[in-house]
Formats: sequence, C-alpha cells, structure tokens
Amino acid sequence: MSVIVNALVDLGYILIFPGFLFCFLCGMLLCGIERKIVARMQKRVGPPILQPMYDFFKLCGKETIVPAVANKTVYLLAPIVGLAALVVIQLFIPVFNFTAFSGNADIIVILYLLLIPALAEIFGAAATGSPFAGVGLSREMVTIISCELPLVLVFLAVGKAVGNAVGSGVVFSMQTIASYQAEHGCLLLKPSMIPAAIAFLLTIPGETGTHPFDAAEAETEICEGMLAEYSGKPLAVYKLSHAVKMLTLTSLFVALFLGGLGTGVILVDGLINFFFCVVITICVVALMDASTARLKIEQLFKYYWTVVSGLAAISLVLAWYGL
Amino acid sequence: MSNFMNYIHFPIYSVMVLFLGAFLIVVLGKNKTLRSIIAVLSVSISLACMIALIKPVMVNGEVIAYWMGNRVPAGGYAIGIAMEVDALSLFFGLLISTAVFVSTVYSIQYMAHDENIPQYYTLLLMLAGGVMGLVLSGDIFNMFIMVEILTFAAVALTAFRNRVFGALEAAFKYLVVGCMGSTCILAGTIMLYANAHTLNFAQLSAIIPGNMNTSTKIAFALLFVGFSTKAFIVPFHPLAADAHGAAPASISVLISGVLTKSGIYGIIRLTYFLFQTMGLSTFQFLLVFIGCVSMFLCVTMALAQHDFKRLLAFHSISQIGYVLTAVGLFTAVGFSSGIYHALNHTLFKGLLFLAAGAVLHETGTTNLDELGGLSKKMPHTTVLFLIGAFSISGIPPFNGFASKWMIYQACYQKAVESGNIGYVLVTVICLVTSVLTLASFVKVSQSVFFGRLPEKYENVKEVSFGMRLAMGIFALLCVLTGLFPDLVGKYLTQPAATAAFNASSYIDAMLGEGYAASAMGPFLPAAQNVVFYEAGVWSPMSWLLIMCIVLLAITIVAVTSKYDRVSAVSSGEADAKHALFFSGEEAVYSQVGGSDLFWGFKHNWRHYFSFMHDLHSGILNDYALWAVVDLALVMLFMLIVL
Repeated sequence: MSVIVNALVDLGYILIFPGFLFCFLCGMLLCGIERKIVARMQKRVGPPILQPMYDFFKLCGKETIVPAVANKTVYLLAPIVGLAALVVIQLFIPVFNFTAFSGNADIIVILYLLLIPALAEIFGAAATGSPFAGVGLSREMVTIISCELPLVLVFLAVGKAVGNAVGSGVVFSMQTIASYQAEHGCLLLKPSMIPAAIAFLLTIPGETGTHPFDAAEAETEICEGMLAEYSGKPLAVYKLSHAVKMLTLTSLFVALFLGGLGTGVILVDGLINFFFCVVITICVVALMDASTARLKIEQLFKYYWTVVSGLAAISLVLAWYGL
Repeated sequence: MSNFMNYIHFPIYSVMVLFLGAFLIVVLGKNKTLRSIIAVLSVSISLACMIALIKPVMVNGEVIAYWMGNRVPAGGYAIGIAMEVDALSLFFGLLISTAVFVSTVYSIQYMAHDENIPQYYTLLLMLAGGVMGLVLSGDIFNMFIMVEILTFAAVALTAFRNRVFGALEAAFKYLVVGCMGSTCILAGTIMLYANAHTLNFAQLSAIIPGNMNTSTKIAFALLFVGFSTKAFIVPFHPLAADAHGAAPASISVLISGVLTKSGIYGIIRLTYFLFQTMGLSTFQFLLVFIGCVSMFLCVTMALAQHDFKRLLAFHSISQIGYVLTAVGLFTAVGFSSGIYHALNHTLFKGLLFLAAGAVLHETGTTNLDELGGLSKKMPHTTVLFLIGAFSISGIPPFNGFASKWMIYQACYQKAVESGNIGYVLVTVICLVTSVLTLASFVKVSQSVFFGRLPEKYENVKEVSFGMRLAMGIFALLCVLTGLFPDLVGKYLTQPAATAAFNASSYIDAMLGEGYAASAMGPFLPAAQNVVFYEAGVWSPMSWLLIMCIVLLAITIVAVTSKYDRVSAVSSGEADAKHALFFSGEEAVYSQVGGSDLFWGFKHNWRHYFSFMHDLHSGILNDYALWAVVDLALVMLFMLIVL
C-alpha cells in the first residue's frame, strides 16, 4: 500500500510540483513579468503579464509545417526532449530544504543535464537543413562553450566553500549544500562567494539567450536562427522551454547562493523561491535586456572567458584558501 | 580431456587461437565463406576464454600464473616463459577481445569489395593476437615481441588500402616512429636484464624498486617513451591522425580501441608494478601533465579538422589523455575511473569509427565540407552515431558521462587532499575539454548527418545489416555501461584497481607466497583493498525513469492536442510552404561548411590555431625529432627527480 502511495507522491512531484505544471505556470509568468518590465524600462506599455501564455495557446492552434528536406522524427522530437530534460532538472534542484528526488544528482550532473535542452534545440535545428539554423546552431554552440567555463568555476568554488565548512574536503551534493546553508546562513553572505554569485548572474542571460547575449537567436539578423523553420506546436514547446529555462537557472541560483531562507512549509517555500526568481529576473535579465545591444559572437566568447570567468576564478582562489 | 578445459589454460588459448586463425587463413583463405568462418570463430573463442575467466579472476580474485611447458622457477630465478593474468590484465583482455570481435564482424561486409582480403584477415588476427599476448604476458621480453608483432601488423593494415591518397605516407610515418618506440622498449628491457638478470615481470617488480640506479632510471625513460608511442599520447599524436585517416574503419577501431590500450596498459604496469613509482608525487605530475596536454591539445586539434576520421583520431588521443590523467592521480577513485573510461573509450570510439566507416562505404568520402543530410538516407547509422557522439561528449546517461564524471570528482578530490591548487586546473581542463568535444561532435552531426543533402548523394542507401549489427553491439554496450556504473565497478574496475594497488600479490602468485616480502623488504608497498564507491551523487537508472515519465506526460499532452497531426509533404505535389526559408535568392545560399562552424570560438583562438598549424608540419623528420626530444626530456626528468 505504501508503495502505491509513494509512487503517487512521486508522480505528483513529477507532474505538479516542482515538476511539469509548476514549471509551466511559473516559467510563463516569469517570462511575462520580464517582458512587461523591459517594456516599462523602454517607456512602452508592454504586453499583459499573461501574454506568453496566450502566445503559447495560440501557437498550439497553428499548423505545424515540416520542411520537405527536414528529418521529421528529429524535428518533432527535439522540442519535447528538451522540455522534458528541463523539467527533470527542476526536480533535482532543491527548494530550500525540500528536494523532490534527493540523491539523484549532484551539481556536476546538473551542469551536464543543462546541456541537454540546448543540444536538443541544436539537433532539431540541424535536422531542418535551413541555412539560418546552421548559423544559429554554430553560434549557440559557441555560447554554450562560453558559459561552460564560468559555470564550472562557480560550481567548483561553491563545492570547495561548502566542503571547507562541512569538513569533508569537497561537496558537490545539492542536498549538502542546501542543509549547509540552512545551518550557516546563505552562501551569498560569505565575502568569498560574492564574485562567484555575480559571475553566475552574468551567465544567466547567456544561457537563456537574452540581450546582449542573444547572438544565437538574433531575430533581426538571422531570423531567430535555430527556430527559423519551426512553426505551430513545436514552436510553442520551444517558447515554453525558453521560459522554463529562465526559471531553472534562477532557481539554481537561489539554491546555490540564497539557500537557508525557507520556512519549512513546502508551499510557502515555493512562493519565496519564486519571489527570488522574479527579483533576479528583474534585476539581471530584464535590466540587461532593456539596456544593452547585441554582442557579436566573438565578443560574447571573449567576455565570458575573461571577465566572467575571472570573477568566478577569484572566488575559487578565495575559497581555496579558506576565506 | 577435462584437464584441457581447466581455466588456467584459457589465457594461452585466447592468444593461440588468434595466431592459429591467422595462419589458417593464409592456407585456406581463398574461399570467402571459409575465411570468414575461421576469422569469426577464432575471435569468438578468444572472447569466450576471456569471459570465462571473469569468475575466477574478477570475482574470486585469483591470479593465474601459467608456466609454458611447466618450467617453474628454479634456484630463485624464473627462466621459463610465463603468462600471468591478474584482474588488470583480464580487464584489458576483455575490452580488447570485445573490440576485436566487433571489428571482425563488421569487416565481413565492410571489406567485401577490397582486394587481398585473406591478407587483411591474417594481419587483423596477428594484430589482435599481438595485443592479447602483450596484456596477458608475464615476462617483459615477450611483451617486446608482442609489441613488434602488433606494430608491424598495424603498419601493414594502415597501408592496406594503398591506393588511397596518403595511405603509404601514413604507414611510413607510423613505421619509423613506431619502430623508434619498439627500439626504446627493447633497449629498456636489455638494461633491466643487465641489472636484475631476469626477464620475468613479477621478479623484476620485486627486484627493481630496491635497486634503483642510473641505468634503471634510463630504462624507465626508454620503456615509458616506448609505450607512449603505442598509446599515441603527446607528442606522438600526429601519427594517429594520419594512420586513422588512411586505414579502413574496422582497423581504426583496433588502432584506437586496442592499440592505444596496450600502451596505457604498459604504462600502468611500468609505473604501478615495475618501478612502483606512482606513489611519488613527481610521477603523478608526469602522467597528469602529459595526460592534460594530450587531452586539451588534441581536442583543439580536432576542432580544426575537416575530415571525419582525422577528427575522430584526435578525439581518441584526447580521451586517452583523460585515462592517463585519472590513472596518474594514484587514488582508488582516480584509477577506477581511469580504466572505466578506457573501457568506455573502446566502446564509443569503436562505434564512431564504424559509423564513419559506414559513411565512407556509402558515399566514398569522409570530407566534412562535402557531406550533409545523410540522416534521411541512413537513419539507423545516424541514431547509432548519435549514441556514440553523446557518449564521447559526456552527456548523461551515456557511459562517457559516468566515467568522466568520476574523473572530475577524483581530480578535485585529489586537489583537496594534496592541497595542490594545480589539480584544480586539471579539473577545469577536464571539464572544458568535455564541452569542446561536444562542440566537435555537433559539427560532425551538422555537416554529415543533418544539414542539406548534396545532390550527388541522392541515391545513398543504408548500410547492410551486418555492419549495423556491429555498430549496434557497441551502442548497446555504451548504454548499458552508462546505466549501470555500479555493476561495472563491482565486476570490472574494482578488481582491476585492487590488482593495481597490490603489486605484492602479483609477485607472490608468480614466485611463491612470501617472495615479495623477502625480496623487497622495506620497499614492499602496503596492501590496499580498493572498495568501489562513487565520489558524488548520481543514479542514472532513476534519472532515466523520471525522464521517461516526464517525456510520456509531455507526449500525451502533445498528442491529445494533435501535436502529431503535422503537415508534411505528401507524395508528388510540392507546396511552397514546405520549402526552406531563404530570405531571397536560393541560388546564393550556401551551407556553413564543417570547417567554418564555431568561428566565433576559433577567431579568439586564432593565434593558438595558427601556431598549432605550423607546428604540425606533417614532415616525418619533425615527428621523429619530437620522439627524440620526448625521450631526452623524460630521461632528464628521471635523473633529476628520482
């Protein structure tokens, strides 16, 4: 009997919170807030906050056109796989002290799981055979390489900082990082972790592909690159994925640097978590989106591997010497 | 009769049957069916012998010492020819016989249109027998003989398609530098014999650590460089690229999956057993340094390639760099993850080379700038290639991820334990190399299997079932070893790591209980029992389960909202809406060539790439000079630090 109950609870985690439904609603809401704020910053009225959701359902009603030269299976499967991977990552990120599936992944695993949505998009784009998609996927891959180094350094710094305190040398387990913060206060309060936190914040726009790091999409230049040939429902799934990705990265930031602020009640914690996500989105993603222009892909790469990686490396060295 | 079926005879059977097959094919090879049967039968028996040894050696922890003609040691000296199989030997023996088996199955149809096929099978079996003999041998002179056999067989096979442009050149380069390596091994062996008056590996391992002098140090340098040429690690990587580019794909599988492993095996035996130097942090530095340079240099070289097989060749060395780095850490996790990656490397690299071979077989080229859009014509090959590509780039839950992830943890653990910040850099290099590997395989997928199909390949067909079967075996093993890392750990890597950390039991099994203790005295290393554990948190099976449920949920939502009712091209009538969007004239459209992808990355590294381009001149004299310089540096290193 308890097996069935456990299975149902797990299914609830996967489908409702913090899984599929939560990702859908919060991701869309986050995306809507971001658009609204950007518009306000540019002295526009902006769309209603629910606009991404309206767009999603409208796209679902449109015809899906598969290009004649495309590989149909990959073309249709790629968006679904990408979305599924994102939802799974969301399940592995602790919401303060609550983890839906503990012991399933550590921070390095999440780093690699984060590649899957991007890869799915790349292979879906490659399957269309479009020249714009070719340019887009090339840039997307360079963006991934650019973001990888700072992320790696940030994760190593966090692992070392927590490991110093816990006493086992190095800790990559999300669970231990969460419980460490519950006990000692959030990591952002440690001076040595501040550069790493800034570096992580700066990689969020790169990962989600907003201004100034949107060379891979670049609507005005290469017709949204990888999405050029997509239409209808697959496009809707992609739009949803982009929204969920913003939620995933911001909640990863909360889990790594702002842990320990939860109350212990799951629903309240979920709300606090989402509140932080909104704050980060407004302060970082929306602000940069509204105030900067697109960087060229080689500038983007250089920026990430020098400035952002440098910040993260400072944190790593500080954590190494136990500060 | 039952006496012959005792498992202690299995090692010699598994080597003998390969050589026997080679000679039988020379005699009876005219008949097509007969030679295929002989080849497959001999590699199957060899594989079966290895699998049968799993229980006694891996599970029960026995070490098989086998004296030819029962010439057991007399008067304290081991004169007879010996084979010795511990878990480490068996580990390499298993992955070698698996790769040889799959390669032979693939060859039957892949090589069907070539000339001189009997000679091909003879050489292939000689190569396989050479490597098997090397890893199962118990004395160092037989190791040298096997090195000679496998080098010459590999050289001849590299030039097998000698009408292909560059095949003879590649073989000649390989011949010269490979012989320099073999000569180094011979010279090292002679110097060891002069010092210890024995060629038996176990006895040498007991005598040498206590009697270090200048000549044994020189011998170490010679042997190390000799085995480096077999593993193609830096600075011998250009040879691998040329050899892989020219050799048939089934031989590339052996060169990358089997030959390089023999070099790694030699280096492990050298550092963990013969000299027992791995405990010294300077030696850890040597291996980790060479490993990291191989890893990073070769992955960047691969990014600059525009030939499918040359690109794979560079990645092969890059992955060997991971193995060497992990083995060089001298920790239990490091060593197990290193050989785990060696196993995975054989599987995914074999799969990728076979996929490249399938493309070459159907289209006649491996040039990334000419190919494209094959996924519609060769769907199965595409799926199999993608499994290989995801495995090598370390995408969860495939096997490359499982082993690389352990390597990252091992490196960082080592950094923390030793307090040496240099190992943090090693961890970062490992992680960045992985994403560059991914970039490189995105490039291959885009420019070979996806993208636009050139008109001349309109009539390309899927490869035959036999070739897909061979690739399928590798793909299945890639998935299984990725999903069950704990089983691989329990039955394969943990016994092998335990064997590597207990040189004394290897010595005692050969020369009698207590020999190691009496001969080595204070130099006897403490026995260590390696218990398999994962350094971090990751359970691939439950991940897969969750992923499937989510995928199912999304698919149900998608299908009920008529996601599958798509508007694809129906037969005959073309509608403009199914054409690609070109934003203007289709005539001026040109696909981004394979070598031009990722220019945003390459632009920032242009000075590095042009430096590398100039450095790899392709002139044999330069590469031979590198070998000499490498030898001189390792000798200098040995004399200074030891």
